[in-house]
Amino acid sequence: MITLDPNVPAGPLEMKWDRRRFSGQLVSPTNKRRIKIIVVGTGLAGASAASTLGQLGYQVECFCFHDSPRRAHSIAAQGGINAAKNYQDDGDSVARLFYDTIKGGDFRSREANVYRLAQISTQIIDQCVALGVPFAREYGGQLANRSFGGVQVSRTFYCRGQTGQQLLLGAYSALCWQIERGQVTMRPRTEMLDVIVADGHARGIVVRDLVTGRLSVHTAHAVVLATGGYSNVYYLSTNASGCNVTATCRAWKQGAAFANPSFTQIHPTAIPPIGDHQAKLTLMSESLRNDGRIWVPVSPSDRRPPHAIPPSERDYFLERRYPRFGNLVPRDVASRAVKAICDEGCGVGPGGQGVYLDFSDVIRQQGIDIVRERYGNLFEMYERITGENAYEVPMRIYPAPHYTMGGLWVDYNLMSTIPGLFVIGEANFADHGANRLGASSLMQGLADGYFILPYTIGHYLATVNSPPITEDHGASRAALERVKARLKKLLQGKGRRRTAASFHRALGKILWDHCGMSRRAAGIRGALEAIPSLREEFWRDVIVPGSGEALNQELEYAGRVADFLEFAELMCHDALHREESCGAHFREEYQTEDGEPRRDDDRFAYVAAWEYREGETPVLHKEPLNFEFVQPTTRSYQ
Amino acid sequence: MSRVKVFFNSSVNSKIVASLAGLGLVGFVIFHMLGNLQVFEGRDAINGYASILRDMPIFLWTARAGLLAAAGVHVGLTLRLALRNRRARSVAYAARRYRAASVASRTMALTGSLLLAFIIFHLLHLTVGVIDPSAPDGLDTQGRMDVYGKIVRAFSNPLYVGIYVVGQLILGLHLSHAVSSVFQTWGIEHAALDHLFKLVGSGVALLVVLGNLAIIFAVFLGLLRA
Amino acid sequence: MKFTLKIWRQRGPNERGGFVTYSVDEVSPDMSFLEMLDALNQRLIATAEEPVAFEHDCREGICGSCSLVIDGVPHGPDRGVTTCQLYMRRFADEKTITIEPWRAKAFPIIKDLVVDRRALDRIMQAGGYISVNTGGAVDGNTLLIGKDEAETAMDAASCIGCGACVAACKNASAMLFVAAKVSHLATLPQGKPERTRRVMAMVQAMDREGFGSCGNQYECEAVCPKHVSVRFIAMLNREYLRSGILGTKMPARSDPPHGESY
Repeated sequence: MITLDPNVPAGPLEMKWDRRRFSGQLVSPTNKRRIKIIVVGTGLAGASAASTLGQLGYQVECFCFHDSPRRAHSIAAQGGINAAKNYQDDGDSVARLFYDTIKGGDFRSREANVYRLAQISTQIIDQCVALGVPFAREYGGQLANRSFGGVQVSRTFYCRGQTGQQLLLGAYSALCWQIERGQVTMRPRTEMLDVIVADGHARGIVVRDLVTGRLSVHTAHAVVLATGGYSNVYYLSTNASGCNVTATCRAWKQGAAFANPSFTQIHPTAIPPIGDHQAKLTLMSESLRNDGRIWVPVSPSDRRPPHAIPPSERDYFLERRYPRFGNLVPRDVASRAVKAICDEGCGVGPGGQGVYLDFSDVIRQQGIDIVRERYGNLFEMYERITGENAYEVPMRIYPAPHYTMGGLWVDYNLMSTIPGLFVIGEANFADHGANRLGASSLMQGLADGYFILPYTIGHYLATVNSPPITEDHGASRAALERVKARLKKLLQGKGRRRTAASFHRALGKILWDHCGMSRRAAGIRGALEAIPSLREEFWRDVIVPGSGEALNQELEYAGRVADFLEFAELMCHDALHREESCGAHFREEYQTEDGEPRRDDDRFAYVAAWEYREGETPVLHKEPLNFEFVQPTTRSYQ
Repeated sequence: MSRVKVFFNSSVNSKIVASLAGLGLVGFVIFHMLGNLQVFEGRDAINGYASILRDMPIFLWTARAGLLAAAGVHVGLTLRLALRNRRARSVAYAARRYRAASVASRTMALTGSLLLAFIIFHLLHLTVGVIDPSAPDGLDTQGRMDVYGKIVRAFSNPLYVGIYVVGQLILGLHLSHAVSSVFQTWGIEHAALDHLFKLVGSGVALLVVLGNLAIIFAVFLGLLRA
Repeated sequence: MKFTLKIWRQRGPNERGGFVTYSVDEVSPDMSFLEMLDALNQRLIATAEEPVAFEHDCREGICGSCSLVIDGVPHGPDRGVTTCQLYMRRFADEKTITIEPWRAKAFPIIKDLVVDRRALDRIMQAGGYISVNTGGAVDGNTLLIGKDEAETAMDAASCIGCGACVAACKNASAMLFVAAKVSHLATLPQGKPERTRRVMAMVQAMDREGFGSCGNQYECEAVCPKHVSVRFIAMLNREYLRSGILGTKMPARSDPPHGESY
């Protein structure tokens, strides 16, 4: 039975983290050498945690499925990282970053966590600068900032359009140092396939060496999951092709509660899908909305090329619906509006999935050179992918799944409901509530990894003192057997018919249609019926060529699809039960007359944490959210 | 491992030392070419120049020893690098297309080896004189060694002209990449001057080759006679 | 569109490999090169054949996973892009395309087109970092860094570690990769205290891994998806010369933290 104790320290908001750090017990340096910690994943959170834990003197064993820890998908984050430095003296502060994040998350996150995140944000920048991250600078040599995601202050630090890359390389370099010092043992091309729980505590993991196919058990005093988000459950997303839910899904099945799984962020400005062959969606920077105007033809049957459609027959629907913010409404609002208009049949491009993002007005008013200077690289990227010149024809854009606010439930100490199992970065349900603000994911990943986990895990290790279990322990053997059986099941069977990708695509379509940007009960119920039968078909018909004893990318992929097929159902349960619209979760039944989301704080001001029950519907546990320091208000952008 | 071994195990150190030695050889080639151009001033000038050199045996032999050492170091180190480089790609590509690498840069090991062969030939031919025994060292009217006569005799023969012209082309190819490359190897780079550095390589190569070819063709075309 | 693909197939690290010819049709010009391979693989899987193993992840040109030599050029005919950003409209219809893995002794083949690039990680572990502990860093604005310096550091730091420079180099040299890291950290004031030891250690690690030496041919720069300049190689050489002259006065290994407890 799961109990959700958020473990938030008492006292005023700004004192909570200090109090926790002081009240937490410490591990003596000599003991640290004898303590082993497993870190799974080497993105911003995983790499920063592994390096910091190694530096503190723990023995760290770190795993990633890539060929190198530097390739984790944090590397693809473009925009920047927020911090309440107030270098611009434009009125920013820890309190303001805290408030913006809480409000942006539509009041579905834990106050104490978010405040701590805002407090730590300033340290992150200092740490990254010390590691040699080449942040953009002013001519005078000071750190440069830009404003991002529609906030009123400039608090975003950036490295051109490659901020995620540079922050990750910073954390990776710190990790390299600890590997060189022998504090961290790095195991690349190794995928975690299960977690070992003994006597109620997480004591290790089962991994598969992706090159030799060898399965092995690794045990430790504590396990840290930093395995990222699960947007790939939609098949097409902006995530890397390897991103998956396997680690967190397995932990869920071993008893960790999964929180708010249906909170998935859909980014409005991606290049639209064009055909079945498409493997991923490419994100275009949100900044394009500063100058581009979004429109569709008024008449759904209008098939004329865009320049032949006179202004009177164009529908600038964002400007029409949100006259105050126009094309700059937040991500979730823009995404929903785009999908709605396409569902009405007004969409443009292949399959009617797309709207125009038109730069002709700004080119006419300010000249093509200004536009080229601001967005040249984005236009170039667009042309490379679509073969169209966006200076002459309007771009086409369509929303794409991008980030998952949901994740394994963790308390204030970032520990899941399985003691000894810590979850950091996008993998936990985190600090973003029902919607994440731009440039906040990098901040959260690094805050968890560099500054929070290394403290809080110490308290656990100091208070729970039991030696690691052996590889022969019953729990280890059971976990290994589970993994073996599953791999065998994937590989066995002749005369099968369908590839894993075709199942993945089918699943993605179900979710996108019924548990995507807007959801309604009937649709979700339909999905809940369709998914189990798809899953059954998967296990009956999926083809996995080759053997398990060598590099077998299809086996890896099929295993991940299998987990998505289980996990998707959980998402639907969550989306169905939350009878309100909040942040990225939009239930069509719960909207105002003019189509705005209606939040229900009386009934749903809680974190929904789901417990796995074999063969049964997952069980809901609620962590009530009390807003002591801010008052929930309605987000309105009209 | 001894410090020397550690030092020379480094590919970057090997390159730096090899380039230093190579630059010494380049200096000699230029000096050699300029000295020989005195052939245009007549028999007297060049024979006098040669006898001055021979009258300073210490200088001559020091220079020769220095050259030999430079050549030895240059050949030894570059050979080792080339072997290592070959090992670094044990399986070749089935298809290969170059974008930036010049022909000269890709054939350094080949032109270097051919150049070595040519130099040995040249030494045996005109310095030691064992290749063409029909032309023993003559003396001029003042009793000095008749370098002028030797040059004229050698380059009247189309066979030797052919060999020397090919030798010069190989030398030019080798020098053009070598000299411009030195800047990079020594870490000299500049946004505005990089282009110039590249030109210096071709310039030096062209200068040396044209100077040497001028002598060969002047004799062959009958502008310089015995 | 239709293409004939000559693809290097190799079952494992110690097996003999060879080219296998496949034909693919119904290729859309809007497909990326990797999506074209995906389509081929789907066809192979459907007939229970082993698909062609190749590396890919982000598919937006930043993770550095994808690594194909296409018709003799790493990352294919376009400049400044990774393999995943290459689109089929770039190729003439009915063309024969040769696809090979990165070839270098330091990058042993694992399977088909997948190679082991851990050598690059080991070079990084030898010194591609600033030894600074988490916590206690001074304010980010304490050390001012001029815009030009910051931009130069960023130019170098944009290396994605794909290894195309090694694949393209006639000598399979990793100089551009090493140069990018050394230059990035040597340009920033935070990286200066360790610059002497860093360049020595990284070059030594590079040689140890069996990469070739730089021939100043600049093929690396011409295929680099991030346009990392060969001027950084000159900078590396300069750093190396400087270190050779100044010598290293730092201890080879740093003291462990909490040394008093040992």
